[in-house]
Amino acid sequence: MDGDWEEVGRLLLPPPGHNALPTPATAMGFDSSQELIWLGNEFGRVSSFYGTDLTRYTSFRAGEGAVRQLLFHEKGIIALCPRSVHMATRRGPPLWHIQHDEMKDLRCMSYTSKGASEILVAGLQDQMFTIDVDKGTITKQIPTNDHYTIMKRSRYICAATKGGSVNILDSVTFNLIKTWNAHSSLINDMDAQHDFIVTCGYSLRQQQSYMLDPLVNVFDLKNMISMSPIPFPAGAAYVRMHPRMSTTSIVVSQLGQMHIVDLMNVNTSNVRQANVLTYLSMVEIAPSGEAIALVDGESNLHLWGSPSRTRFAELSNPVEFAEPEETVQPLDWSVDTPLNSIGMPYYREQLLSAWPSHMIFEVGAPPPKIDPLLMASLKVTEWGGYGRNTRGMKRNQVENTRTTEKTSTCLQAPKFLSEKAREAANDASLERRI
Amino acid sequence: SLHANDTLYSELAREVENGRLARLLMKLGTINERPEYEGDVNWSETSERYILKLFRDYVFHQVNAEGRPVLDMGHMVACLNKLDAGSQEKISLASRDEQSVFVVTYSEIKKQVNAAWSELQKPTRR
Repeated sequence: MDGDWEEVGRLLLPPPGHNALPTPATAMGFDSSQELIWLGNEFGRVSSFYGTDLTRYTSFRAGEGAVRQLLFHEKGIIALCPRSVHMATRRGPPLWHIQHDEMKDLRCMSYTSKGASEILVAGLQDQMFTIDVDKGTITKQIPTNDHYTIMKRSRYICAATKGGSVNILDSVTFNLIKTWNAHSSLINDMDAQHDFIVTCGYSLRQQQSYMLDPLVNVFDLKNMISMSPIPFPAGAAYVRMHPRMSTTSIVVSQLGQMHIVDLMNVNTSNVRQANVLTYLSMVEIAPSGEAIALVDGESNLHLWGSPSRTRFAELSNPVEFAEPEETVQPLDWSVDTPLNSIGMPYYREQLLSAWPSHMIFEVGAPPPKIDPLLMASLKVTEWGGYGRNTRGMKRNQVENTRTTEKTSTCLQAPKFLSEKAREAANDASLERRI
Repeated sequence: SLHANDTLYSELAREVENGRLARLLMKLGTINERPEYEGDVNWSETSERYILKLFRDYVFHQVNAEGRPVLDMGHMVACLNKLDAGSQEKISLASRDEQSVFVVTYSEIKKQVNAAWSELQKPTRR
């Protein structure tokens, strides 16, 4: 972290409704290809914020319950809720939404060996799923003995169990390669990059209270051995590997003390203090390594970086905003105003107003008669009458008024015998057909 | 007589436009807010058709800063024309509780209208 890092932005998360209290974020992440920060809340809503000003960009519902994790894809973002997985474009419209009976309490997900075209989802349940990201379908269901809370992918898929150990899974077969007992009771945070896994966790003190361990545990994936832990007296709560400096990690305490430590040389560290009023609930580093976001218990997002240049994504694409509405000349509602005074934009494809040619309807049937029984039972008011629906039909059901009209005509011209016979024959054939 | 011809043409253009807009409005009218969609996952907040509801509000339920309805026919006609052509222009749609914000192109909305419309034309649903 450079010398000039400081808090460059702060945002109080928007409340879930008017007059509602702000809700804490349950998931957070920096976009990998646009200058956006994404946050998920406990109502399944995902919102994005643009740049260091943290202007609100888009927001959408991803599912029921809290958003657990966000993953970024070239085409959009994937949000994990306890019972569903949702993928939407960055502009908001959904791409797919998967729900399955065996999805009971999903907690974490990770890309697999197939790059960004497949994800593995797991949670506090006995089933894991692989999902084809491009098609939006479940490809495989994998039974598992361990329940997972955090997943990170590096050389392998590193999955934290709820008991304080980390399972190292093969990213092709999802077989267990090794179990590493990182902490004695719980893992609070984990990151994995290149050759290292780093974890923060709790242990049970005096058999009653959980305490954050005053160290960060480190595992060497190249040699498959645990390394000497990084001491962190304030109690290590969150840890992230620096995305570009492969042996540098950033450790944060619950009260906002940040240490930048080199895993190879743990004795030199760079210390910063974030100005937070309560405990922190989440910490994330941008893919560029030039920004850090911290979320506190009062729903504030603190953005840290260098004031002169803070980028989120390594290579960022421009964010697609709505175009400013062009001013159209006001039309009045008079009869003389031609509707073509506003021209069509250029187009190549078929217009939406094109009416299918096979849809042809007969017009001119007499309007349906109102049931005299209903008319009699109506209560009449100034604006009309009302009463109970006595017609044993659906609301707005279509009636064939032509046939009823024909039978109810009482005044008929006298007919010749031959005509009567012909009509009878016609009627009979009609009856048969029906 | 050339002048008369021109007048006829402009009259014709006016009427053609009316028919086009009327057909478009009929399509939108048949699709939006059908009671049988109540509880249908396709129309829920997490699904694609949701933007159709928001588009209807965007076009017809404009309000000013005081919350009074704005009946700007120019806005409606311009929006409908862009929808008809499936323009690539992006607009920002917000839900009534202002919790959801989408940025969509007219051509995406057009695609959803077409999908919903062809579903209505099927003899029986599902």
